Formats: sequence, C-alpha cells, structure tokens
Amino acid sequence: MAKTSTSAGHGAHGDGAHSEHAAHAHISRGTYYRVFAALMVLMALTVGAWWIEGIVALPRLLGVAIAMAIAIAKTTLIVLYFMHVKVSERATQLYAAAAFIGFAIMVIITMGDYFARGWPPPPGPLP
Amino acid sequence: MATTTPTTPTATPAPAHEHGHEAHGRELLHHFESAQQQKETATLGMWIFLVTEIMLFGGIFMAYIVYRWAFPDVWAEAAHHLNTPLGAVNTVVLLVSSLTVALAVNAAEEGNRRRLLTMLGITLLLGATFLVIKGYEYSEKFAHCAGAANPVAWVTGGARLGESECLVPGRNFIFPEAHGAEGAEAGHGTADSYAQPQAGLGSPYQLFYFLYFVATGLHAVHMVIGLTIVSILTFIAWRGVITPTYYTPIEVGGLYWHLIDIIWVFLFPLFYLVH
Repeated sequence: MAKTSTSAGHGAHGDGAHSEHAAHAHISRGTYYRVFAALMVLMALTVGAWWIEGIVALPRLLGVAIAMAIAIAKTTLIVLYFMHVKVSERATQLYAAAAFIGFAIMVIITMGDYFARGWPPPPGPLP
Repeated sequence: MATTTPTTPTATPAPAHEHGHEAHGRELLHHFESAQQQKETATLGMWIFLVTEIMLFGGIFMAYIVYRWAFPDVWAEAAHHLNTPLGAVNTVVLLVSSLTVALAVNAAEEGNRRRLLTMLGITLLLGATFLVIKGYEYSEKFAHCAGAANPVAWVTGGARLGESECLVPGRNFIFPEAHGAEGAEAGHGTADSYAQPQAGLGSPYQLFYFLYFVATGLHAVHMVIGLTIVSILTFIAWRGVITPTYYTPIEVGGLYWHLIDIIWVFLFPLFYLVH
C-alpha cells in the first residue's frame, strides 16, 4: 500500500552503513489520504455499532469487543502510516511494539490476580 | 593589542567539524555519521518516551478495565449523561489533525515551507477546537453542579436546572434519578442495588465520573503540551530552520501528536459509547 521511494544519497559519509532496509523510504501523500479515509470509515462504524446496540439488544461483551477491535484497527493504521513505523528502523519498530505488549502484560497479570481473588465482587454497595 | 581575530576562539573547540557542511545541514552533530542516522536516533528516543506515556495512560486504562468488569450496570447508567455528539465531533477533529500533522511531515520532507506552515497552522486550529469543545463539556458538568441549566446560564444567571444533578466527583456528587426508569427496564436484577440515586461519596456512579475526569483531564493536559510543541514547530519552520535534510523536530513532534490522538481513539468508545 505504501509507495516507497528512495531519496537521493545523503552525501559522502555513512551511506549504506546502517540503512539496509528502506531506511530512506517515505510514505506518499496519497497513502496518507487513503489512511485518513479508512480512519473516517472506522469512526463511522464505531458510532454506528453503538447506535445499533441501542436498538438491538446485543450481549454487552460483544459490544465492547466490537468497539475495541475498531479502536485497535485505527491505532494500527495511525502507528504504521502516520507514525511511519512501517518504514522505520527495526529498533523503532521493536519499541513501538513493546509499548503495546507491555500494556498487555500489565492487563493480563493484573486481571489474572483479580480473578484469582474472586473478581467481580458480589452485587451490592462498593466494597 | 587586539590582534586576535574573531574566528580564533571558535576554531579551537571544533576541529572535528573541519570536513565542511556541504553534504548535510549545519545541524548534523559530530557524533553521528549521517543526517539519516541522527534522525533515526532521535525517532527511537522519542519512541522510548512514548512507551512511558502509554504506561502512564495504561494505569488509568487498567483501573477502568478492573471497575467496568465489576460494575457494568453502573457504567451503562452513568455514561448516558455524557455528551456523545460532542465526543464524536472531537474524535473527528483529532483524526483530521493527525492527517494534517502527517502532511506537515511530508511537506517538510519535500522542502515545501509554505505547505508545512499551512498544515501546522491547521493543526493548531484543530487542537484549539478540540480543547474548546472539551472545555464546554466540562463546564456543562460544573454548571449543573452550580444548579444552572447550561454554562451560559451559569454565567448570566439564566435558566436553572430542574432536577439537582452534579456529576463532578466529590462531596456534592448527585446522580439524577431520571434514568432510573430506563435502567430498571434493561435491568438484570443486580442493577437494582445500584439504581437508587445516592448523593456524595457513597454513590457508585462517582467511580465512572472520577475515571472520566482523570482520563480526559490528563489527555487535555497532553493536548495543551501538544499545542505548545506545534506552536514552537511553527515558529522554527517560519524561521527557516526546517529543511529536507533536517526535519527531525517535525517528525518527532508529530509522533507526540499522533500518540495523543491514539489515546483519544480509546477514550472515546470507552467513555462515550457505553451500553
């Protein structure tokens, strides 16, 4: 999807020393517009899904899953194209992934602990 | 006496820079091999900072997950009182601003100073629009606590709010009764234990609004910082610092702006689109 093109060399030193893969690549304006259009479609979908859930009784968990799937899709588009991670260095890609994996680890360990202690609590006033 | 030429003091500390600047801009620091390497290093450094930002907001999201999991009915009831149309407009405003920031980086890359300044200017306008809309939503909640029907009436002493309502967490928190009927209709039995409106710290609905104000408040603080960064970028772009070989500030500032957008992409469905 991303049109990559290599720009002109950057002078005498350092060229090719570390840019083994598409380090000079950039994302074209056309791609930005298409990504933006996709983001707008996803935005309409998430509000539309919420509106439909107000009419048709769907399982609550399904509604949350749809909303989060759309939010994750939007984030992926923004990170890959707007934040250039698709054409970034490997180390940058690793850190971008680490941010989200780190958050996932926090959620899994924390919720695991809560469930092991009988979460959610029985109905009634807040403990 | 004063025979020392002005060049002498500067010549001594920078012998390593004698290779000239034809190949790259003045801004290439001597410990980098190329402008490309310098940019990649700055980008990686920014991403390391963004990881810490995600963990900062992650804590709030974690609290949200824990409590929504336990009290889904409280969430469904409480979220009715947020202004979803304004939240949706703000989401679109931020997504458009992300596009203009991406286009600003593109313009900087291509050395188009005019387009760069235009895109940064539009970004500033959109960021300000977001904060104005967010500010209106907040003031609506505070106006209700003061007994006014809307923020304008609060200032002018106009229309009063029919039923007492205060959704700002604290001692005066009052969750209105009006939605009790709707809640009971969709009720799962367990909802009844939360359905009674309770004033003050005992109200379970306060939990939702506490998380709402903390999450959107911290996000708004980031918006203010983002606007400051874009203002500085606009200034240095106007001064002509940004060139096709040196546009790292735009790239790195843009990363920060996109991160704020991503946070909102999650805040919007989690607070405004709850059933």
